[in-house]
Amino acid sequence: MSEEYHVLDLLPAYAIGSLEADEVNRVEQHLRSCLICRTEANAFQETAEQLSFAAPVASPSPDLKERLLQRARAARPGESTVSRQPARPFWERLLPAWGLASLALIVGLAGLNFLLWQRVDRIEFSTAPGGMRAVPLTATDAAPAATGFVLISADGGDGALVVDGLPPLGEDQQYQLWLIRDGTRTSGAVFSTDEKSYGGTRIRAPLSIAACGRSSRPALNERNKIGVFEWPPTPRKSQN
Amino acid sequence: MKSTTDYARYDDERLIRLIVQGQEGALAQLYDRYNRLIFSLALAVVDDRATAEEITLDVFMRVWQKAETYRAEQAKVSTWLTHIARHHAIDILRRRSVRPDHFAVAWDDVDFKAESPDQDPQEMTEISMRRERVQAALAKLPEEQKQALLLAYFSGYSHSQVAEALHQPLGTIKTRLRLAMQKLREFLGDEADASVQPSSAYNRSKEER
Repeated sequence: MSEEYHVLDLLPAYAIGSLEADEVNRVEQHLRSCLICRTEANAFQETAEQLSFAAPVASPSPDLKERLLQRARAARPGESTVSRQPARPFWERLLPAWGLASLALIVGLAGLNFLLWQRVDRIEFSTAPGGMRAVPLTATDAAPAATGFVLISADGGDGALVVDGLPPLGEDQQYQLWLIRDGTRTSGAVFSTDEKSYGGTRIRAPLSIAACGRSSRPALNERNKIGVFEWPPTPRKSQN
Repeated sequence: MKSTTDYARYDDERLIRLIVQGQEGALAQLYDRYNRLIFSLALAVVDDRATAEEITLDVFMRVWQKAETYRAEQAKVSTWLTHIARHHAIDILRRRSVRPDHFAVAWDDVDFKAESPDQDPQEMTEISMRRERVQAALAKLPEEQKQALLLAYFSGYSHSQVAEALHQPLGTIKTRLRLAMQKLREFLGDEADASVQPSSAYNRSKEER
């Protein structure tokens, strides 16, 4: 995209919310396809929100914390979001192929197609220097040239995804990594690939998967046990 | 259940991940760390303590229920919290269709020494330092730029509303806001570029583990 179409001059005001509606639309439409302006917008957003630190200091009532915790106990995290997320039809198409797989890790295109995947019970971990583990992802027929790895930190607390060879996307599309346990899926990351089909991102939501086991949240599909994604996963030694 | 002391060792991102797991202690720790910041911001916008407390509750309940939507690659946790708080407060202000008859934020009233002495020590070392940095950066701005910037930020005014409130031409206000933000970003550059958790206390605790 050429320089003349950038919206850099509007980004400071966009960050503090002072643009008029038509300007907001123009900026947001542009940000969807321009990494330069998106990076600038994030930087100005950080700057804008720092103004909050300059508000005159005041303290809420001492009992506000207890009120918060009471509300929190009455509403466990995730309930409201999960209850609004219906199971998507693509689940039903994928389930038979997975059978009794006990773990699933999917890279897909906004839930419409899945291109890379892995099941924990079949993983053979590679151990890298520093104790990191690498989990290879398997390509599907939808993207036979795709390759990928999930890298897991030594303590299992962090993960990163590296992919290559994924098909190019439209400007308004991104790839998504799903982590799945007992039919409950959680987005691990949303990411894009560069012009050479290479991409990488940090995985941000693995702990929510670990939490599912004791959560009262209903699985999206109780009948089909898609699996348990352990995080950190328990390494399984190769039978070889 | 971990003790509060244990959670105090964790950085903000770690707390968010523990909140996703449903660990109430992590929520309590995040509240201890940021309740004054969020409440102060909300109060500056709505100028009503009861409403500001409700906004504070709403912000932390949103974190409790939507923590998995946080994206560290896009913003710091504190930025995420203040973004939610400010937009929520401004929405409430707009729904009321009644604005405070004065500028809710009186900058000359800011007195760091007036802070409660029993506040969380981490807040003392981290948030107070950031407050001082922002205050110092604002002090470098020309008065008319600072005035327009704060009116836009804390009142949610558009360019045209700021222009009307300050009796200035629209083009003048646009220029003032743009320059103010660019300068503020420059003055706060080190802070904005800092790692997600700049706390020396957090770093020490990590090294000790």
